[in-house]
Amino acid sequence: MPQLSLLAVSSYLPDQVVDNEFFARGTAERRGMFTAPATRRHVRADESAVDMIEKAARRLIEREGLDPARDIDLLFTNVAIPDQAFTGCGAEVAARLGAHPRWIVDLHNTGCVAFLYMLDLAQALVQGSSARGALLCCVQNAGGRLFSQPGVRTKSQAPIPGDGCGVGYARAGERSPLLSLVQRCQPEFAGDMRAIGDDGRRYWEPGLSPISIAFTEARVAAILQRGNALVPELVRLACAEAGVAVQDLDLLVTNQPSLIFLRNWREALELRPGVHHDTFARLGNLFGAGIPINLEDAIANAKIRPGSLVCMAGFSHAGDYGAAAVLRWQVNPR
Amino acid sequence: MAMTALAPEGLAGIAGLVRCEQYDREAIAELLTEMTHGAYPHEQVYGEYCTVHAHIECPPERVFAYMSDPYSLMEWTYSVRALRPSTKAGLLVGVDARDTPLYCRVESHPEAFTVDYHCAWDQGDQLWMIYLNRIVPAERVLNRPGSVLIWTNCRHPHYARNPFPALAPRERAWVGDYWPFFYAGHSLELANLKAILEYRVRHSLPPGPHLLAAEALPPLPR
Repeated sequence: MPQLSLLAVSSYLPDQVVDNEFFARGTAERRGMFTAPATRRHVRADESAVDMIEKAARRLIEREGLDPARDIDLLFTNVAIPDQAFTGCGAEVAARLGAHPRWIVDLHNTGCVAFLYMLDLAQALVQGSSARGALLCCVQNAGGRLFSQPGVRTKSQAPIPGDGCGVGYARAGERSPLLSLVQRCQPEFAGDMRAIGDDGRRYWEPGLSPISIAFTEARVAAILQRGNALVPELVRLACAEAGVAVQDLDLLVTNQPSLIFLRNWREALELRPGVHHDTFARLGNLFGAGIPINLEDAIANAKIRPGSLVCMAGFSHAGDYGAAAVLRWQVNPR
Repeated sequence: MAMTALAPEGLAGIAGLVRCEQYDREAIAELLTEMTHGAYPHEQVYGEYCTVHAHIECPPERVFAYMSDPYSLMEWTYSVRALRPSTKAGLLVGVDARDTPLYCRVESHPEAFTVDYHCAWDQGDQLWMIYLNRIVPAERVLNRPGSVLIWTNCRHPHYARNPFPALAPRERAWVGDYWPFFYAGHSLELANLKAILEYRVRHSLPPGPHLLAAEALPPLPR
């Protein structure tokens, strides 16, 4: 059965840099779960998810010398706040790039670990069909679209999200082989996160209250505990399945919901300093775009070399999905 | 009924208190999440105090009676053996870790369900190794039969330095050198205690300790 390799990642960041002055007074002094990044990016009102994916993907296509019409058999998208309420943007992305994928999958689940879920699906489809190349596209645009709105931007969670797009290209082959990928769905936690107006308005109902995404207050302690336990457990599982030790990892990139989670995962896994690479202070919570953006940032900062052992991991929403994957970066010739 | 209220100046001058008047729900959430880690270094948890606890399927009165009898230590501890009365009333002496005289006195309070072992190696004048035990009826705290046992040791400065080095055999390791193993060691001994008590309840045996009259005991090391 063909092996799947992650060949490249690329990103696009909106040019609008937002500092802490934009949010409630005292934002920069917040601590704990609400420790704010120094800056984050926000999409502008007229910037679509398709625009973001196109920009990130074109960089990758040029750098890797891909022919979209020939090399993209599978196209996955996950967008935090979709351009259209009734369909995903994958087909539009294909049109912009000139790709003719056999399958387009607009994922609306697995949020912060969508990149890993896409890899898992890509692996299954590559092994079960003649499809070979997969473009994985993750867009976080809730910062500009939701958390910048009047009435939302002063909430304590508003400074945390930051926008960006991360894309990856995976292909059948041995170049950067995926050694393991574990994922788990915990359906009992699916209802613990809600997009809702302050007055209880559902997003499709008419009204004046802005929509935001939040956990119920009573769930915060439970969610902290879930995330604390789940991600290190899945990292250990993925390492065991790959036949490597956690301490041998050269790089861990995760989603970055808050500094507290990053600290807790690093401590629980007893990683060497610098192995867990993040961009929280500059970019905030990138949701599903976090893993590919952090991976690209780590590569740009020379954190890995050919042969390095890389782990990607995270959990989504209030703990409904979690995943971890281990790969050996550029260990074989193309 | 007489009603009371806090005196407004009662807490004046005490810095650093975390109370809802100064910390609203968001502020307390910041502190709580910051303090809640996914994993804690062993030294941070067990460095100065070592507490182990267990649920035991055995009525609290029976756990109390068993633990209050110092001769039970010869059954459930790893290495306390050959206990006998010393020249002082209430003070027993035995052998620990093969080459060490161990002195021990039990201080127990049936109303509070506490059983404390006041111990020391080598001498019986200053019993500074204190094993604090509290037995709680599990019915009250866990809504199930049996007992919860909470056992704490505090890191007395003598753990760091033997106060009576002249009494120690040459080449012997000091008890305090094992402090980093206390969590593990005490957990194993607690598991022994639980297994013994539960086995005897399950098989309708007397609680113990099961002792025989002895002709002679091994001499105390010196």
